[in-house]
Amino acid sequence: MEQLTQATINGVMLGGYYAVMVLGFSIIWGVMGVINLAHGEFIMIGAYLTWIMNKQFGWEPLTAIIVVVPVMFVLGYILQRILINRIIDRPYLISLLVTFSLAIIIANATKLIFTATPRTVNTVYSGFWRIGETSITVPKTRAIVLIAALIIMGLLWLFLQRTRLGKSIRAAAQNREAARIVGIEIAAVYALTFAICIALTGAAGVLISPTTPIYPFMGGPLTLKAFAITAMSGLGSIPGALAGGVVLGLVETLIATFVPGVGTNLGIVSSFVILVVVLVVRPQGLFGGLKAAEAH
Amino acid sequence: MLATWRRYKLTRWLALVLLIVLILLPLPQFLAPERKLVTNSLLFSFTQLFMLIWMASNWNAFSGFTGYVDFGHAVFFGLGAYGTGVLMVKLGVPFPIAVLGGAIVAAIFAFLIGSATLRLKGPYFSIAMLGTFVAMREIVRIIKPITGGGSGLTLPPYLNRPLFYYVTLIGMAIVVLLIWLMRRTQFGASLIAIREDEVGAEMRGINTTRHKITIFCLACFSTGIVGGLWAYQNTFIDPDIVFFESRTIELVMMTILGGLGTVAGPVVGATVLYWLRDIIWANFLDYHLIVQGIMLILIVLFVPEGIMGIIGDPDSTSLGRLWKKHFGQGEETEQPTTTTEVQS
Amino acid sequence: MTVALHSAESPSPARTDQPLLEGRGVSKFFGGLAALTDVDFQVYRGEVMGLIGPNGSGKTTLFDCLSCVQRVSQGEIHFKGTDITKFKPYQVAHLGLARTFQVIRVYRKLTVLENMLLSLQWGNLTMRNKFRPNSAETEARARQLIDFLLLKRVTDEKAGNLSGGQQRLLEIGMALMPDPDLLLLDEATSGVNPTLIEEIKSRIRILNEEQGKTFLLIEHNVQFISDLCSRVFVLNYGEKLAEGTPDEIMNNQEVIEAYFGAEAGDDDGF
Repeated sequence: MEQLTQATINGVMLGGYYAVMVLGFSIIWGVMGVINLAHGEFIMIGAYLTWIMNKQFGWEPLTAIIVVVPVMFVLGYILQRILINRIIDRPYLISLLVTFSLAIIIANATKLIFTATPRTVNTVYSGFWRIGETSITVPKTRAIVLIAALIIMGLLWLFLQRTRLGKSIRAAAQNREAARIVGIEIAAVYALTFAICIALTGAAGVLISPTTPIYPFMGGPLTLKAFAITAMSGLGSIPGALAGGVVLGLVETLIATFVPGVGTNLGIVSSFVILVVVLVVRPQGLFGGLKAAEAH
Repeated sequence: MLATWRRYKLTRWLALVLLIVLILLPLPQFLAPERKLVTNSLLFSFTQLFMLIWMASNWNAFSGFTGYVDFGHAVFFGLGAYGTGVLMVKLGVPFPIAVLGGAIVAAIFAFLIGSATLRLKGPYFSIAMLGTFVAMREIVRIIKPITGGGSGLTLPPYLNRPLFYYVTLIGMAIVVLLIWLMRRTQFGASLIAIREDEVGAEMRGINTTRHKITIFCLACFSTGIVGGLWAYQNTFIDPDIVFFESRTIELVMMTILGGLGTVAGPVVGATVLYWLRDIIWANFLDYHLIVQGIMLILIVLFVPEGIMGIIGDPDSTSLGRLWKKHFGQGEETEQPTTTTEVQS
Repeated sequence: MTVALHSAESPSPARTDQPLLEGRGVSKFFGGLAALTDVDFQVYRGEVMGLIGPNGSGKTTLFDCLSCVQRVSQGEIHFKGTDITKFKPYQVAHLGLARTFQVIRVYRKLTVLENMLLSLQWGNLTMRNKFRPNSAETEARARQLIDFLLLKRVTDEKAGNLSGGQQRLLEIGMALMPDPDLLLLDEATSGVNPTLIEEIKSRIRILNEEQGKTFLLIEHNVQFISDLCSRVFVLNYGEKLAEGTPDEIMNNQEVIEAYFGAEAGDDDGF
């Protein structure tokens, strides 16, 4: 029983992180109709930046967010202007191939610069909190990551609901033509959306850094998880992302806890299975949040 | 039957392919290691090229024709390889039957995953295949009793380079020929219709799901055969070398460079890139994947129709138009029927 | 195949035979929005029926429901006595219902001939037959239709290079390839020059009178409707507004109001 409770707590905490991780992916998809297969690679860049700040300057990992977010914002803006802008409104074939290539380039460039050696960051928040007299524990880093994730999502929600740009982004996601007619400058909205989403994704990289080793090819599985969650949650919906993230987090931790001998390798398999099951069971009306991008 | 077949008009491309095959066929007869003219390594090199052309053609027959990008085609290569390996090592099945078994395993898996994801239009299939690729490597690692897990399987060694050369050359030629024939049937045309306008195709009476799954299974069966051949030739398989990331990327690149959805595209693209890759490998050993990625983006953005597109229809690509503008005859750049209306 | 001819001069009386296509209480909702509400209609074999209505009145939605691209929310659709409400688009096409599209859907990268050959997807074309090349008769038929639709000069031209009017004709040709019983033409004259409109009109007349093809047309061109159609069906805000001969419809006060938004109180117009 305690094992189950422990697994549930871990799963929920992982889910909170997943929710932040997935939002950049699903908003870009919803607004621009581009499926960013390099999503995990942007998380990886964020994580490596955190590692640099941590190793070179001794920063606490989570404080690296103040550096990572602006850097990733600029990176996202430039990338959108020179590359992504060319693939919006093109067939999926094109955008998938381009972002897929981008993922390969980023991962291998990272390997060239930082080698394939897995890196870890140091944090003062190691250790556990014990709950009462039980053996159930809450790892401090994961709890802090969860809190940070919730704060980021709250800020994002405020941004989308309250600011003019946020409203433009939501409008563009629902109907591009109509948004253009009411005077939203769609090209600017696209560029800023992509930049903001990449910044958000970089922040997810900061959050992941204290809990997992950082290596050049960590991105692929993260992209797949992002897709599995998006398939469950819908495009650009923050509550949906939370729900989907928690489901995936729970499934992963429960399997790792109760199925012997598979360890974390099966984490990626479980997100794959979730993905296929969701596609089979609810192929239509899959997306609850913003309107799904039309096929072709 | 023959009468029907005579209706396929022989194009110059097909004649060229047949000619090349006929020229290449007797190559092992000149095997002379001491003179360094035709060496085993040259045969090996050709064998690899034939396998790549074979697989790129399979990939193209599905992804190029239907427009559904299969990012995990290496899965079926891997299933073919492991199917063959397991049948030979664990059950002692002779190679020809084992390779068929491996291909059937690949086709069955293709049917299952295709039935689940190809019913949906749009990008879901591509991402599911990306997931399949990552997941399959882990699954093969996990089911250690059957696959040998991370430590791999060693197949009975069989070092007959000329044989592999013949088999891959003929197999490749047959597959290219079959795809060329398929393109000329209603089935092949229906696949193009799915790529161009799937909803429209469905309203014109094409059962798109069935078409997609059929060609997917056929392509994956064919790739399974290549996987089996490769496993036997390599004599050793493990999850990392079989489910190797760049295996799919290479197929995608070769096909797109040559011309997506054209029969000759994968042949041309694979041949060009295979020799080009030697240069890239030699000079940029560490960053060949980066170079490949950049090339793929440039090709997709600027020459989406590939080499065959430029040769066959210069107007369809920006590069082709540029070429024609500067080197072609002036009159031809005018499109004769764009503005003229049919008068009664 | 029995052919019942109805020229424009003799309006059809109340019919007792079974309709070729029939909608019973067809409704379609998009979320809370009703695109079609409880629409009843019959199309009889051999007639040319017009479907008119202001923009946004649900005409194309109705076509989409008839060709099963959209699943109706309520009601039933019967074609040739078969309930097709839950059919897939290709199954409806196999039954002999073909359509064209408001936004042209030709395969732009294929030639006119290839487009035609591709559209031959009748029901008895089994998977095995699909792996054989097109027979000489099929190609002859395609060329004959291309000729009939005045596209001979552009037979080997890429469809994307054709003018709008030629693409409309090609779409009609593609719809005709499988020899359907019923053709749904969605704005076959929009973006087409007047000379070509006359040609399209004469082709439809020939197909109807000589080959007994049934037509259901969405049209904005009043002249086109009154020249061709024996009956007209009017949709407004997704509801049936009127039905009758072209003359009756043109003089119907409600229809005029719907189109020009004259005195209708709650009508904001489009």
